[in-house]
Amino acid sequence: MEAAKMASPKSAPKDAQVMAQILKDMGITEYEPRVINQMLEFAYRYVTTILEDAKIYSSHAKKSSVDADDVRLAIQCRTDQSFTSPPPRDFLLDIARQKNQTPLPLIKPYSGPRLPPDRYCLTAPNYRLKSLQKKVSSTAGRITVPRLSVGAVSSRPSTPTLGTPSAQTVSVSAKVGAPVSLAGQRFTVQIPSSQPAGKSGTPGLPGAGN
Amino acid sequence: DRQTLVAVLQFLRRSNLRESEEILRREARLLGDDLGGNVATVATSSPGVAAVAAVPPGKGEVRGDCGVGPCSAGTLGGTASVSSISSPSSKITHSGDVIGGAVVVEDQPDVSAVLSAYNQQGDPTLYEEYYSGLKHFIECSLDCHRAELSQLFYPLFVHMYLELVYNQHESEAKSFFERFHGDQECYYQDDLRVLSSLTKKEHMKGNETMLDFRTSKFVLRISRDSYQLLKRHLQEKQNNQIWNIVQEHLYIDIFDGMPRSKQQIDAMVGSLAGEAKREANKAKVFFGLLKEPEFDVPLDDEDEEGENEEGKPKKKKPKKDNVGSKSKKQDPNAPPQNRIPLPELKDSDKLDKVMNMKEAARRVRLGPECLPSICFYTFLNAYQGLTAVDITDDSSMIVGGFADSTVRVWSVTPKKLRSVKTAADLSLIDKESDDVLERIMDEKTASELKILYGHSGPVYGTSFSPDRNYLLSCSEDGTVRLWSLQTFTCLVGYKGHNYPVWDTQFSPYGYYFVSGGHDRVARLWATDHYQPLRIFAGHLADVTCTRFHPNSNYIATGSADRTIRLWDVLNGNCVRIFTGHKGPIHSLAFSPNGRFLATGATDGRVLLWDIGHGLMVGELKGHTDTIYALRFSRDGEILASGSMDNTVRLWDAVKAFEDLETDDFTTATGHINLPENSQDLLLGTYMTKSTPVVHLHFTRRNLLLAAGAYSSQ
Repeated sequence: MEAAKMASPKSAPKDAQVMAQILKDMGITEYEPRVINQMLEFAYRYVTTILEDAKIYSSHAKKSSVDADDVRLAIQCRTDQSFTSPPPRDFLLDIARQKNQTPLPLIKPYSGPRLPPDRYCLTAPNYRLKSLQKKVSSTAGRITVPRLSVGAVSSRPSTPTLGTPSAQTVSVSAKVGAPVSLAGQRFTVQIPSSQPAGKSGTPGLPGAGN
Repeated sequence: DRQTLVAVLQFLRRSNLRESEEILRREARLLGDDLGGNVATVATSSPGVAAVAAVPPGKGEVRGDCGVGPCSAGTLGGTASVSSISSPSSKITHSGDVIGGAVVVEDQPDVSAVLSAYNQQGDPTLYEEYYSGLKHFIECSLDCHRAELSQLFYPLFVHMYLELVYNQHESEAKSFFERFHGDQECYYQDDLRVLSSLTKKEHMKGNETMLDFRTSKFVLRISRDSYQLLKRHLQEKQNNQIWNIVQEHLYIDIFDGMPRSKQQIDAMVGSLAGEAKREANKAKVFFGLLKEPEFDVPLDDEDEEGENEEGKPKKKKPKKDNVGSKSKKQDPNAPPQNRIPLPELKDSDKLDKVMNMKEAARRVRLGPECLPSICFYTFLNAYQGLTAVDITDDSSMIVGGFADSTVRVWSVTPKKLRSVKTAADLSLIDKESDDVLERIMDEKTASELKILYGHSGPVYGTSFSPDRNYLLSCSEDGTVRLWSLQTFTCLVGYKGHNYPVWDTQFSPYGYYFVSGGHDRVARLWATDHYQPLRIFAGHLADVTCTRFHPNSNYIATGSADRTIRLWDVLNGNCVRIFTGHKGPIHSLAFSPNGRFLATGATDGRVLLWDIGHGLMVGELKGHTDTIYALRFSRDGEILASGSMDNTVRLWDAVKAFEDLETDDFTTATGHINLPENSQDLLLGTYMTKSTPVVHLHFTRRNLLLAAGAYSSQ
């Protein structure tokens, strides 16, 4: 990190100078120059959010202008929403006491990879193949290619396994050469909108739960 | 105060004091709006005398027993009844209905938070007078006492300032701060800067650390003579106010013995909560190592046993031969084998142990004459921002956690990283062949580097499992992720901390892991439970560093409140508190024999602690910047430390631990005289070319590996 270069007084706008002074007062001496811009943006966004909320509250109370009480209320509501702080110490001590009372669970020997139940893992595939009702009887030699459809799920999904498709569904690539006329059959791949179990590790998905 | 009233009612209800609650409720309704802004203050009990406040008949009265520290009291406007949260030694009696026996009230969550309001100990404008009076007294006292009594300045200053702020005397608070903040010790400057920005009561609400500081007692350790002197002075009439403040917010741990010198005190103070009470460090800790299981080893002798054969704290023998010392006695300092459930030894683990022993036979014996070679892995062009590094025990893989939320694994040996074949291919291989473990690997995926995506925030901690099958990473997004090193995919995301997780580590036996984060707790997890097994709560600020003891029964956590705590995995109790650092702790290392702990912090000092006795036994000065890496050599002869000042320093651990005299321990004063021998212990300083050292690792043959990211300034 480079040391802070104070912009020369004639070129920096006044609020940037104020922000630099605030950083100096808080004892922060080394920061990248863009930190000031970021802090200013944040300050602007915060203040406008608060004032907008305050306007809403004052108009709700049928006041003619915004006063300090409205602003105070706006600050309070926003604090509870965006600036959450970790739980207080006594609460932590309490749950710690509860949690620490249960004895440590015994470990089952020889149980393979020790992972939580599947629904808490990220090992399930995040897609599901669905087959529509195929024709009931088929001769032994005839291979029916099931239809795959996009859209809402109508049947209950089977419990997710580690990637092996169930017997009914057939991946599209495997049966391309099936000796069945494909005319009139619609092939679409279904991507369920709701995930059956967890989410896989694709980048960008929010990771923090509540 | 409406809130206070509600809390008191709840408390009464919970303690089954129905009648009192009834009465209070009735009276409260009568008072109605009077409670609004009117906070009449009542002086809390002066020492030795139980408070007898004016009590309307039938109202519940709660007395606080005065030891050296009654707890804070809240007030109810108008009625002048006193309710207080008691320490375990207080009683609750009622004038009228007598509740049998003493009711021990532990941490009542909601009540204590609300009722821990500061009392007005007299006129706010006189605070400066009180403080300067005390200052004058202490400066005029005898030299030998002055150092000890000066410890009072800081906590008193902070508490008085916070009291003024809390009771909304802003101008007095500001002038009080202006006048006296320069007198405080230099190592408190960071805290004072934070305090200077707290000028209103609303500011205090968001700052959890300050709230904890307010409600917990600052511990001071003073010799009996100094204490008598102080007490006598403060109990004179005009100084009663300060005495009340001392009573309320400080806990004075008195010891019999010589008053400590300034140097001794400076070594041990610095944490946010003062020092540690002596009885906090008296619990028995099983610091010995677990017995290695016996099994047939082709070449070498049998297992390594715990090295403490006798129970007495011995001087650490420099050339102890681990291989071949068969002690059939159970080491009294070692925990029983089944104290905590541990996973069984698999065949692959046994093979690993055999390898380990073979390597151990070829290990270089280190010492002052034979220093280790250092091999430094520099991460070049790490624009992603290297934030965490770990190396496997057998030094075959390195993992780097980066600020762009990726986790990258490299193979250090010529053998590349491969992932397992897909299920379809696996069904085709011959399962009975000898090299089935090779065949399951997919050659097409061989590469030197694997990148793991999944986190949504910078990765602050990484840890390999001892069997090299799993990798853990913890991140600012609040989750800890378990990755498989056989498929290089993410297996589980453990959610529990909702705030950045700063550090994580696997247990030396696998299966358990610990994580510590911004929410000021450390959690113990097992890989097959989606919720933590243990929660270690007690720190006043973020937990920045978490390490397992070699016997996996204890966890050390270092925190931003500048203390290190040792927790027992079995029941979650805090068994040791170590104070002395002047900045947040960023590195911890247990010695291989389990007896000692080395810690490094932003103040550039490495402190050495004896776990069994709970004492600081060494201080290594030399680094000029934060120490992020500490590691003992495989046999514990050398301690290596790496820091932000771009150096790796090697210290003589044998010498540091062998000069301990048992007499000092048994005086039970809680401290020993630290020798000023940092220079003698320093064996070497090795400078890198502007690369801060982030990780250190001794290979099984005692070659030192170091890692860091090149930073160009």
